Amino acid sequence: MIINEAPALKLVEIKKEYPGVKALSGINIDFQTNEIHGLIGENGAGKSTLIKILAGIVKADYGEIFMNNKKVNIRSSKDSQKLGLSFIHQELNLIEYMNAAENIFLGHPYPKTRWGTISWKELNERAKEILKALDIDIPLNIPVGRLSTVNRSMVIIARAFAVSALIYFMDEPTTALAAHEKGMLFEVIRKLKSIGKTIVYISHDLDEVMLLSDRITVMRDGKVVTTLAKNEYEKPKLIQLMTGRNMNSLFPPRLESRKFEEIILSVRSLTGPKIKNVSFDLKKGEILGIAGIVGSGRTELLRSLFGVDKIISGEILFDGSLFMPHSPSESIKKGIALVPEERRSQGLILNRSVLENIAIVHLKALSRGPFIDIKNAKREAVKIGSLVRLKATDYRNAVATLSGGNQQKVVLAKYMLQKPQVFMLDEPTKGVDVGARYEIYSIIRELAKEGSGILLVASDFSELLGLSERILVMHEGKMIAVVNAKDMNEASLLKLCYGLEGS
Amino acid sequence: MKSPKFNTEALPFLKKWGTIIFFILLIFAFSFMRPTTFATWGNLKNIVEQSSILAIVSAGVTVVMITGDMDLSVGSLASLVGILSALLLKSNMNILVSEIIGLIIGGLCGLLNGILVAYGGISSFIATLATMTSFGGVALLLSKGVTLFGLPDAFLWLGQGSIVGIPVPIIFMIIIVIFAWLILEQMTFGRRLYAIGGNHEAAFLSGINIKLHRLSSFIISGASAAFGGIILTSRLASAHPQAGNPLMLNSAAAVFLGMTAFREGEAHIGGTLLGVFIMGVLGNGLNILGVNSYVQSILTGGIIILAVLLSSFAKRKN
Repeated sequence: MIINEAPALKLVEIKKEYPGVKALSGINIDFQTNEIHGLIGENGAGKSTLIKILAGIVKADYGEIFMNNKKVNIRSSKDSQKLGLSFIHQELNLIEYMNAAENIFLGHPYPKTRWGTISWKELNERAKEILKALDIDIPLNIPVGRLSTVNRSMVIIARAFAVSALIYFMDEPTTALAAHEKGMLFEVIRKLKSIGKTIVYISHDLDEVMLLSDRITVMRDGKVVTTLAKNEYEKPKLIQLMTGRNMNSLFPPRLESRKFEEIILSVRSLTGPKIKNVSFDLKKGEILGIAGIVGSGRTELLRSLFGVDKIISGEILFDGSLFMPHSPSESIKKGIALVPEERRSQGLILNRSVLENIAIVHLKALSRGPFIDIKNAKREAVKIGSLVRLKATDYRNAVATLSGGNQQKVVLAKYMLQKPQVFMLDEPTKGVDVGARYEIYSIIRELAKEGSGILLVASDFSELLGLSERILVMHEGKMIAVVNAKDMNEASLLKLCYGLEGS
Repeated sequence: MKSPKFNTEALPFLKKWGTIIFFILLIFAFSFMRPTTFATWGNLKNIVEQSSILAIVSAGVTVVMITGDMDLSVGSLASLVGILSALLLKSNMNILVSEIIGLIIGGLCGLLNGILVAYGGISSFIATLATMTSFGGVALLLSKGVTLFGLPDAFLWLGQGSIVGIPVPIIFMIIIVIFAWLILEQMTFGRRLYAIGGNHEAAFLSGINIKLHRLSSFIISGASAAFGGIILTSRLASAHPQAGNPLMLNSAAAVFLGMTAFREGEAHIGGTLLGVFIMGVLGNGLNILGVNSYVQSILTGGIIILAVLLSSFAKRKN
């Protein structure tokens, strides 16, 4: 990194105010060429507003932007594009029946033949160039729907580089990627840096940010707290800077010497479309973690237990008696709940109010006859909302207006309105900031303390190790081990997940 | 700094109230142009009365459209039930019994739609397009393609009578709309329909029986189309095998117009009622102005686009 050169992008006193909210109060950051610059902060710290200003979606109220010491104006997304700013968003979807080349150039002008039709030959050539520059090898002649998961992710990554830009802004680019795919993305990012680009890397995953970045800027409450150089990183320090409070531990304390006796859920040789012969017992008050790489069948196991995915053979004993769920409604009635993996697409009805989202699962219980008892519903929703430490100014507002962490708390709340006996959580802290994460961990712990059996699926191994008593490891649909969390560390767990150590 | 102010204050206002402002402007425009004929109590009553059948049918269509489905069969179903009840009445069946049979047939046709959509997995647009064609065929077959006259006088009260000066169709409309509002806004059933429309998957994972709810919504839509068909037959004192057909496009237009009002992009009964009245005022006003009926169609289409555009523009800017 060459500091004395003019910064590739320099922000001076950027301010933005929304009615009633100071989203940004005087932001000063400089981004250098040949630099990977991490940008971290809790939800609501102002990161997205800042990005929107640079992308030309939102106009700043005040402040100046310089590129290579030249003042620039960003009035529209076109301006931003022309200046060489490229934005890579969290979840990019591919069009299944188009090939990789077409997916890569989607939304950009296609090369034309002299007859004015699309020049497929040149399109493929250009795609090959991009893929070659990134060291990615993907067949171009088949629809992406038929590519492997890894290759599909590579297409997503390549798409980001369809335009040649000076500065790339990457907002949570790894949420959809598996561990080794992340590694490939990081290689690509480093390569970009080596050819003189600037990468602004935004993520909630501090390990990732610390690993990649040359410098990290921490934002909080619309301000820049500080910018740290590589030798100053320390996870607890970053967390403290982000949250503004001292946190000794990432996880709420474990309860000492707990004994689990009563079995609440007993799974015997459960087999479904994507799981084979899974057997385990879950005891009341126990947190059982489920580890495995993407595609190992961990999500499918939860979905089978919840009555979503078909059960081909095997049996489930719930509280001692046979229970084979056919639909989520059956399971919920029994006291089994699942917090689904995708908060926005599976957990919430985004355009509806917080109240309605919380009430929807146990609507019958909040009704008198066929009519909803609105007063009672409100009371109950606020009660459960405060239990999960939900911060919502008005329960009548659409749930989409809440931050990611609070949205996740709404999902927890809706299934907790009547206390579940078995609570299954699939990636409960995905895209949730550190502060809210701790609170979600506490909620899970409290629920376990009160006697619910918890099944926890998480890609974040520290989360599994920090919360669970035992961890069930899955690989290609099979259960390959059940281990005590105390005996494991992240590396040994990872080895197990890849099926490298049988047991 | 004038433009940001416009962005933050005027547009959300327009977004919420744009459609109703448009409606009021429409009334003012017609009143201004024809103060002695349009702007009279008699004409106002006339508009509401003319709109009542569309309102009843559109209420049912609203229920279906809340879940994200579509019901194109309501028009030909209304025609079919009109023919059916005319035939029953002409065979001297008791009025109440024949109308109840008509409503049940409507519900059963809705059930058929619902089975095709919810359990057969056919897209509602295609399924109801097909049943629309078939229902229309049955209506033509039963009536042999001719208009049926000679209905009992007592039956005509349904569409032409009045109670304490209020026309009976208006009373039916009020009852149906209140009923729809109760179902959709105050009952668990309705809130579940909204949940399904808002996010199918999340609703399913919340333990809602999606198939059953979609099926039920089609039964409601079928029954309300049948009710509309019966009142239409009574009002016209005759049953024509295609009399109800325009209700299909008009109810869809009314619900879509309603989706632009008050709330963002979802069907709701208050909006639908507003949509119905916009359609009613437009038809009546253009008639009074003596606009050629072909030109009326062109203008109606254009004005619907204008209204929807106005509010979706406000949405985008927001």
